Amino acid sequence: MGVNIEFLAGNILKSMNSEEKIDYVLSNVRKDTIIVLEDALTPIEEKQLITQTMKSVSVKFTGIEVCTIGREQNDLKNQLVKILGGKASGLTIVGPSSIVKKIKRDPDKIRLLAGK
Amino acid sequence: MPLQKILKWLNSFFNNKKSFSIGLYGNVNTGKSTLANKISKDWSGEEMSSVSEIPHETRTVVSKEKISIEVDGKKIVLNLLDMPGITTKVDYREFVEKGLTVKEAQKRAKEATRGIIEAIKWLEHVNVALVVMDATEDPFTQVNLTILGNLEARKIPVIIVANKIDKKKAKPERIKEAFPQHKTVYISALKGTNINELYKTIANVKA
Repeated sequence: MGVNIEFLAGNILKSMNSEEKIDYVLSNVRKDTIIVLEDALTPIEEKQLITQTMKSVSVKFTGIEVCTIGREQNDLKNQLVKILGGKASGLTIVGPSSIVKKIKRDPDKIRLLAGK
Repeated sequence: MPLQKILKWLNSFFNNKKSFSIGLYGNVNTGKSTLANKISKDWSGEEMSSVSEIPHETRTVVSKEKISIEVDGKKIVLNLLDMPGITTKVDYREFVEKGLTVKEAQKRAKEATRGIIEAIKWLEHVNVALVVMDATEDPFTQVNLTILGNLEARKIPVIIVANKIDKKKAKPERIKEAFPQHKTVYISALKGTNINELYKTIANVKA
């Protein structure tokens, strides 16, 4: 059986607030989809994602694997880029732990082992 | 100024003691409860948490109040909070494999998820965080990065504890290299190795 992977572009993510992003990610991950977010989640959003995941854990849904790389620094340069409408950096991958067996992070790349 | 703040200021002025709450954070089974017990036993004479090889032994926030530590003439009074280990997945089948019945395992899994939510809530309320990492494991876990990112966002002082240095596979320098922005102390909570260095670091932290 195949694995569903969904890429979510940065411009779509920009139109969502944190709660909407997390709801969207979690509802799709619960349907056995791996979500790739073009803009990385912030640590605060990741915290909210873990909290919502824990509220959803059951016998059938055992949780998620999540990995973020290349998250932007909140320094003056990056704030200016954002204000001027530039692209935020980073990438977050979220998948159901029943499918994503392992995520290995190198500084600039993610290796993901998935399978049912 | 609220009455509580005035009382706190008067108390610290006359006693010349710092008082704050310290939370022990980290992944599951990094040795947080072993460390909490070591600190509590050293300074109050009694342990505070139960320890087990089965993951998620600590499923509620366990606190020990008013632990008085004295290092190099500096006195601090702290409330120690042993947090449930944070993870992104909880599968009851893992507990069944460790010998629990299905019913016990499902109950433990439910309690574990609640404990994780509780530990995350506390991230905003501790004055200082000891982020405990297993020195035999890769420190670049998403849980470590998320915990540190949240503490940094709130400007909460962090001490990273590279635990389990008594194990042959331990590479605590990997932890120090991974998070150079924070003070890292290498210890074995189980054997008590280098524990005084940790007490000195806690006593000098600016909460």
